[in-house]
Amino acid sequence: MDLTLIVVLVIALALFFDFTNGFHDTANAMATPIATGAITPKKAVALAAILNLVGAFLSTEVAKTISGGIINEDPTTGVQIMPEMIFAGLMGAVVWNVFTWLLGLPSSSSHALFGGLVGAAIVGAGFGAIDYGVLLSKVLLPALCAPLIAGISAYLCTKLAYSITKRQNGASPKRGGFRYGQIFSSSLVALAHGTNDAQKTMGVITLTLVASGLQTAGTGPHLWVVATCAIAIALGTYTGGWRIIRTMGSGLTDVKPAQGFAAEVSTASAILTSSHLGFALSTTQVASGSVIGSGLGRKGAEVRWGTAGRIALGWLFTLPAAAIIGGLAAWLTHTGAVGVGIVAVVGVGMLLLFWYLSRKNHVGHEDTLSDIDNSGAAVNILSKKERRARAKAEAKASRKAAQEAMDKEPDNS
Amino acid sequence: MIDWSAFLIVALVSWIAALCIVTAYSFGVRLLAVARDEDSNTSVSKFGAYLCFGVCGVIVLFGVVLIVPQLSRAILGA
Repeated sequence: MDLTLIVVLVIALALFFDFTNGFHDTANAMATPIATGAITPKKAVALAAILNLVGAFLSTEVAKTISGGIINEDPTTGVQIMPEMIFAGLMGAVVWNVFTWLLGLPSSSSHALFGGLVGAAIVGAGFGAIDYGVLLSKVLLPALCAPLIAGISAYLCTKLAYSITKRQNGASPKRGGFRYGQIFSSSLVALAHGTNDAQKTMGVITLTLVASGLQTAGTGPHLWVVATCAIAIALGTYTGGWRIIRTMGSGLTDVKPAQGFAAEVSTASAILTSSHLGFALSTTQVASGSVIGSGLGRKGAEVRWGTAGRIALGWLFTLPAAAIIGGLAAWLTHTGAVGVGIVAVVGVGMLLLFWYLSRKNHVGHEDTLSDIDNSGAAVNILSKKERRARAKAEAKASRKAAQEAMDKEPDNS
Repeated sequence: MIDWSAFLIVALVSWIAALCIVTAYSFGVRLLAVARDEDSNTSVSKFGAYLCFGVCGVIVLFGVVLIVPQLSRAILGA
């Protein structure tokens, strides 16, 4: 069987998924340091991209199964994963990822990938192809727990950070020092992201190569696979999903340095603990939960529950929506080469449409900059002298205005 | 089949780790602020602050060791 064309298509789409994964998830690590002005937007994405690249090369413990056991991939009793099925699943994941980026919603890229593959497997092999127990314990429950664990952690950390740095004698607490900490904590998140997420794409490409007989089963990923995946995710991260960064950095709550540091540390510790002691939590969901929790923990910060609700709704839809797109694509690919061609053309068309729509309402790094200026002004607490000078100037201005108003009045009568 | 104890462990460990880092860093920030007060023993406060930041650095380095498989195998042996 000649699989060359479909294999090339799968690899291209997998790399593009890796790219979308990168720009979708820049926000997880870099939204709060950008929002507090700890690091400029351009530098933040460059740092995240480099750490993603390094992370992708560091860890090559490629997932042995594409779906982490959600799809029954057993060679004797389960579904045989065909490149067409992977292609359809990836298409579902990519389309959903780009769509949520257009809406500025942080949604889990892994859930999109699982969803697309699940949809493709159901269409390809029926509902029995899915292990629903694994789906529940590996996707649905962690999706509920991740924001809760991270949110509670960030709430407690924010409270603690503010109470420790509070000065009883009324001196300035100088909390700006938390900004430097944020650079380190967010770098840790970016590195963890690189080691985790680039692996998924490497796994998908390697399994496709194995399935089509181009690589012996049981061997590690080729160097070119590792290199291209690392570069794809780093490029995606560098491109920066500014829409999502804006949502995470200032859409949920206004982030101050101490609060941002607490959120970042909570994100990093939750991701590291979960991936080492039990199950993998979605980076995106952990980071969103942390930001909300830190907003609840700081006095005077308000959490915009409308935005939080929109994000939660996005999570709810990620798996089924990607599954439906993946399923439709799988159904089309079953008709043979023509179907694969239709899926490819329609998919690219949809992506171009989303991109076109995004140009109408462009969000770039400069849009996140204005928030820095604001937060910078808020952090820069005026000294007593400056405050007095400002109050004097304001009083003078208002007196002058009143005087002018009085002078004008006779003309009116 | 759902491993509730794993959830609990993850929650507790991540809370404790995050609280430790934030506590250490916050004391560092506070001591730096104290060091800038006029009538204080600047060098002691500064030393304490850098000690606190050092503790944070060690915890973060441990995080890096956990992330990088080669390092965790070499250092932690697992």
